[in-house]
Amino acid sequence: MDNGRSKGGRMKFNKLKILPPTLREKKRYILFQVISEEPIVYEDLEQAIWNQFLDTFGELGVSRLDMRIIRNLYCPENQTCVISCNHASVQQVIAGLGLLSRLGDSRIIIKILKVSGTIKGLRGVGNWK
Amino acid sequence: MQAYDLHVHSAFSGGTSNLEELASTAKQLGYAGICFVAYPMSKREEEILKAEIERVKKSFGIEVYLGFEARNRRELEELKRRRKDFDILLVRGGNLRMNRIAVQTRGAQILTHPEYERSDPGLNHVLAKLAAQNNVAIEINFREVLITSKRSRENVLRNLTKDVKIAKKFHVPIIVCSGALSHWMMRDPYVLASFATQVGLDLKEAKDAVTKVPKKIIEEAKERRSKGWIMEGVKVVE
Repeated sequence: MDNGRSKGGRMKFNKLKILPPTLREKKRYILFQVISEEPIVYEDLEQAIWNQFLDTFGELGVSRLDMRIIRNLYCPENQTCVISCNHASVQQVIAGLGLLSRLGDSRIIIKILKVSGTIKGLRGVGNWK
Repeated sequence: MQAYDLHVHSAFSGGTSNLEELASTAKQLGYAGICFVAYPMSKREEEILKAEIERVKKSFGIEVYLGFEARNRRELEELKRRRKDFDILLVRGGNLRMNRIAVQTRGAQILTHPEYERSDPGLNHVLAKLAAQNNVAIEINFREVLITSKRSRENVLRNLTKDVKIAKKFHVPIIVCSGALSHWMMRDPYVLASFATQVGLDLKEAKDAVTKVPKKIIEEAKERRSKGWIMEGVKVVE
């Protein structure tokens, strides 16, 4: 009987088994561009987004968005970034992004480039590779 | 999405950006057209503004309109008299008296921020019925939310939600505008539509509030300025 241990007696489960597609949360990826007065730094952007969302929607509200800022998809040349969230919260996330008006001393505008169900679907939009 | 932002202030009306900056940002954000809103001014200033608008229209290739915002009854009467000189007539809301005058004036097209600096929504069933009868659109102004924070933002959002609820019940047209005082305050049309969903509109209504409703207002304005137009419901057909 499989009791979760390998023959050597060590635990073999470091990762949860992936949920079947019917039980998975539907995700959406939002690709956006930051138009700014001065060049921006990713860390500042991430900090500003989290602060803005926590201020606007509160801790419980943000937890329901299931939001992640995907660091390795940030493009410093075009200042484009990708946020993932669950499919029911797309409008709330876009509205929250629209409330960002400053990053430090630099004024910014967020331009939404595309919303997609996969990261692959975002490719080729707004010079984003 | 053919979106329009019908409430943008330039340096001519208390804003900080010039027409080029505003038009170029609008184009970058994907707007099909914008309306520069000004307050009643001298003839000379108005001529300069109109010449600037013509220049911007040619150089940026987007639709640019001129709107006037009446701040009191006197200004509204004056603007109604020379209605053919500009495109869109807006009435500044916030004052209950002005809200009432706006919704019962047939020529007025947009009542801007009815809840401006108020602790109540500034709109009730009586005003909503009048607005629906006279086809006056109620504006959701994004600037109100953008420049406030914490407790005052909560107040604005609460009032906007109530306004939307009443407007929907009485089938009053709802329009979402940035109300920008500078080009940095302009927002992507998708952001404005998403924001509208957060104050009670469903997604289709929210998209219509930045596309179809402003388009209809513009078409009505164009008709009013056409040669054959005489008065509400009367025009010369060739």
